Amino acid sequence: MRRLVLVALIFLLAGYAAAEDKRYSVPINDSPTMGPVDAPVAIIEFLDFQ
Amino acid sequence: MAAGPTVKKIMEVYKGKIRLIIKNYPYIYRDYSHLAAEASLAARDQGKYWEMHDLLFKRSPKLDRASLINYAREIGLDVKKFTESLDAKKHAQEVERDKKLAVDLDLYNTPTFFINGRKVIGERPFEYFKKIIDEELKR
Repeated sequence: MRRLVLVALIFLLAGYAAAEDKRYSVPINDSPTMGPVDAPVAIIEFLDFQ
Repeated sequence: MAAGPTVKKIMEVYKGKIRLIIKNYPYIYRDYSHLAAEASLAARDQGKYWEMHDLLFKRSPKLDRASLINYAREIGLDVKKFTESLDAKKHAQEVERDKKLAVDLDLYNTPTFFINGRKVIGERPFEYFKKIIDEELKR
């Protein structure tokens, strides 16, 4: 069981490498925001409520 | 759908270090996606965007016009103003602008995130975001 968990963890970590390194430029415009304007990290979320 | 609880956790854990920006990408084949997005912006006009945002996710997929008006009442909006905004399609263009942006970026899934411009597609566990955010904070 413990070994299974370990294997699952390794797969999960391998998935991290798939995060894209390319940086996209997405205009913020006047979209709804939360958090300080000068925050070091900006997260833009495209969502669908349904 | 979006990663509501995960995003909420990120904003709590990294309080003051993150700015969250919401763009609407209503899926064309869902009946109320567009209207719900417009409703969120109508709530924003009355200073209650996040209250509506949270409620819409909680009650989704029940997002028809009558339900949206009930939600407006529930969070204490001026219902008359809210309904007028919805019926006048006041924010339809704003939603369309976001949608065009999503198409231009070739997005095909929601939620899609850009963390300092780095694209993350679909719902992911908190730890996945944490790794990227920690990298960004170290830069």
